[in-house]
Amino acid sequence: MITLPPSERDLHAYVDHQLSDADRLTLETWLAAHPETAEQVQAWQLDAQSLRAALSGGLHRVPNPELDPTYIRQRMRRNTYRHYATAAVLLVAVSIGGLSGWQAREMTLASNVLPMADAVQAYRMFAVKDDMANDWNPGKTSDAQGWLDKNFAQADRLPNLEAAGFKPVSGRLSSTEQGAAAILVYQDNDGRKLTFYIRPPGPLNRPLPAGSRRDGELQADYWSGAGYNYAVVSRADDPASQIARQALRQPI
Amino acid sequence: MNEIDDQLRELMPRMRRFAVWLTRNPSTADDLVQSSLEKALMAWGDKREEGDLRAWLFSILYRQFLDAHRRSRRYGRLLELFTGGKDDHYEPSVERTVVAQSTLAAFERLNTEQRALLLWVSVEGLSYKEIAEILDVPIGTVMSRLSRARQALRQLSDGEITTPSLRILK
Repeated sequence: MITLPPSERDLHAYVDHQLSDADRLTLETWLAAHPETAEQVQAWQLDAQSLRAALSGGLHRVPNPELDPTYIRQRMRRNTYRHYATAAVLLVAVSIGGLSGWQAREMTLASNVLPMADAVQAYRMFAVKDDMANDWNPGKTSDAQGWLDKNFAQADRLPNLEAAGFKPVSGRLSSTEQGAAAILVYQDNDGRKLTFYIRPPGPLNRPLPAGSRRDGELQADYWSGAGYNYAVVSRADDPASQIARQALRQPI
Repeated sequence: MNEIDDQLRELMPRMRRFAVWLTRNPSTADDLVQSSLEKALMAWGDKREEGDLRAWLFSILYRQFLDAHRRSRRYGRLLELFTGGKDDHYEPSVERTVVAQSTLAAFERLNTEQRALLLWVSVEGLSYKEIAEILDVPIGTVMSRLSRARQALRQLSDGEITTPSLRILK
């Protein structure tokens, strides 16, 4: 219920048809007796009317097909696809960058780390001198394989190189960053030596593809199996060693 | 979905008219309507069932306009740093002032919120409560702002009537 005299807000509410019927009647009666306020109210009403009239033309503009909801939905869908596509391209680009970076890192690492370099070093340390201390020799037990199995679970069978004239003569445990390693020295009747080397996979911690490489006067033949890397190191140009290397290629 | 689209199509002329009076530029207005419709379609699920669709759409459109306006003002200020030009306030052309109906010409010169208020109340017939929700202010505030807008329109309309006759006398 409004109170009289009406507040300015009541007058605006009257102009805007926001009063209840009862309030509207009360106010109209009051306005009839107060012509000055009535004139003010009428001026507002006239303004509202002229505004309605003046703006009514704005409702009859030529339709814009780009504002049709169907078109807008299509546009939104296209934009969504475009965003997904952009995201996918970015993802691919980042992945390619990341993968090639990783690949480059591995290649750098790999080029720095020659496969089974420690096997070759071990040959130079243990196979060259006859009087090196050892952890196994045929005097302790005749079974080199048993000694190896005691220290390495699931080690490969030792290569049998007897046909080429080589027999195990001493074995020695050593260690690498990745764990225990062992070298087994083979010797033939003429005193020529080759070594069998076993170790856990290297810094990149991955199996080696079978292969061979030459390091100075030595040749390392290497392969992987059952959690270890293996190498047989022998003198590269020695005919007896070549025969032994051929024997290696037979399944062990 | 078709029902939604039909409702939107029906209200389209009103949205476009409101946008024209906010932006005072028909092509910018349609861009504004377009971005508001996108917003509306995305937010359709959040719309309150009992609310008036028209008021809801006006509210989206008004906020979109204010956001865009704020952005362009910021950009304008940045541009000013380089060009030294003054802010491009809207000024109706002399021709328009003389030719246009006095109320319309006066309406053009009101500020954004006053234009929106008068259009919502006098032209679209929204309730004070709906407007209070759009502007996110109490109903009392809506009423006092409306009162100021009406006074301003009145004064400007009177001014517009006298300006052309002064010209003629000169």
